[in-house]
Amino acid sequence: MMDICAEKLKQVAGDRAILDEISLEFAAGAVNVILGPNGAGKSTLLRLLCLLDRPAQGEIFYDGLALRAMRRGERTALRRRIGFVFQAPLLLAGSVEDNLLYGPRLRGMDVSGLAIRNVLQTTGLEGREAQEARQLSGGEKQRLQLARVMLLDPELYLLDEPTANLDPLSVKNIEIAITRLAHSGKTVILATHNLIQARLLAGRVIFLKAGKLVQAGSASDVLSCPLSLDIAEFSAAENIVAGTLVRRNGRTMLDCGKLAIEVVSEQEQGAAAAVIRPEDILVSQGPVSSSARNSFPGSIMAAVDLGLVVSLRVDCDGVMFTVFVTRHSCEQMGLRPGAEVLLTFKATSVHLLASG
Amino acid sequence: MAYILDGLKHGLAILMPPNREILQIVILSLAVSGGATFLAALAAIPAALVLALKEFRGKRFLVGAINTALSVPAVLIGLLVYGLVNRRGPLGLLALLFTPGAMVMAQALLAFPLITALALAALTGIARDARDLALSLGANRLQLALAVIRQGRFAFLTALIAGFSRVIGETGMTLMVGGNIKGQTRVLTTAISLETMKGNFEIGIALGIVLLLAALVINIALQWAQGK
Repeated sequence: MMDICAEKLKQVAGDRAILDEISLEFAAGAVNVILGPNGAGKSTLLRLLCLLDRPAQGEIFYDGLALRAMRRGERTALRRRIGFVFQAPLLLAGSVEDNLLYGPRLRGMDVSGLAIRNVLQTTGLEGREAQEARQLSGGEKQRLQLARVMLLDPELYLLDEPTANLDPLSVKNIEIAITRLAHSGKTVILATHNLIQARLLAGRVIFLKAGKLVQAGSASDVLSCPLSLDIAEFSAAENIVAGTLVRRNGRTMLDCGKLAIEVVSEQEQGAAAAVIRPEDILVSQGPVSSSARNSFPGSIMAAVDLGLVVSLRVDCDGVMFTVFVTRHSCEQMGLRPGAEVLLTFKATSVHLLASG
Repeated sequence: MAYILDGLKHGLAILMPPNREILQIVILSLAVSGGATFLAALAAIPAALVLALKEFRGKRFLVGAINTALSVPAVLIGLLVYGLVNRRGPLGLLALLFTPGAMVMAQALLAFPLITALALAALTGIARDARDLALSLGANRLQLALAVIRQGRFAFLTALIAGFSRVIGETGMTLMVGGNIKGQTRVLTTAISLETMKGNFEIGIALGIVLLLAALVINIALQWAQGK
């Protein structure tokens, strides 16, 4: 288990800041997901954490020890506690086994045949020892990279989009392997722009955009209650409404044209956007008496069967809402395109986003 | 046409077996150009490695300077070396002018930018990956250098071949600083030039064949090593 935190970390390419004074902590012994669109600085951050590049400014602490205070030998020793899986597989010309043994050779480690068979089995490459590594398929190369790192049994795993361009089965196998690593006490830091993977794996989510830290926290906090429009849009939150905050009769309303949605906010006016999770919206055929402050009539435009639940697109005076209902309720209530319904949700279910 | 064929016939006859003088010229040519290539590589390969791996201020300027140096005419390098080693020059006390030493110096200067530029161009794609991989798997400084050199060995060989071919075929500059002194600084190219101008066309052809053979043999040997 390795404890890592970064302080005001900055990296530049020419005059452009790729990482702009990022300070963050990673959860030790858990999966940390660095999430963000392309060009957010995810790979750059991982390269700094693996000591492949030196930061332009700032400091990284490994178990409390400052990177800048380390001598060359100490940095090599630290690197030997870390395993890195590159986004584009870096393999030596040679067999699968040659590639597996390269790390132990550099580190002066003895590995048993059993250990090799174990990592090959975990990554689904059993029996492929003698195959030419560069002739493997894309997914196999990625898994070989993971096997090569697992054989070294590092305390910290840095994975740069380890499942990009893989088929669903390979993705699932790698995700299972990653979960197991965290369970066995390894610290895993994984960069991805795959939201579902972030939800699935993450103990902690760190959202970067254009080199800046947007939000960090538990996966459920960041992904379900995003603080910024960037994350909401990135995470494809279904209901994003934009409007102006106004005070009316002692209540704060988000005025979006024909609809005025009651919200709970400390900010009292100005432009704002909000997210309402589809599962937080109640669908009824007539008025329901409840504490919920928002209730709007609308008509169903589309219904998409997602298996256990049905996703409905409801038009309320020009504002489109997506709501989830169980298939059972859907059939019982006769919810089909054209039907008139009432949407109800609480003011506290409206998550206001920081603008910008 | 006949006289060309005659020349060829005579040229081949002179070489079977080659006389002492020709052997001496061949050996000196190989020694001077081989030595110059070796010295140039000693500086050029580390330079290419540093330029491929390190980021530093002035790097773009340096790469630009090396590429520009590729187009400096050999005769200007001859002029420079002449200026350095002649009796009144800064290195005049070494008495290098018209010795193999001056020839090695000039040829090494000619080969250096070529070997650096070619090695750098070939390394740019592979050195960073080799470095990242070795570092991430825990290589120390020495292991890292070996890993990159190992990955770059084909690039280095190609650059060496090009450098050697360039200098062993060079005439004007070598003549300027070597002087084409019989038995001392006469090499294949200067001998061909002299004999042809003296009207000894068949000797020129004989030496030309040798030059071609020498270049071919070295190239084949290096390429064979590359295939290993």
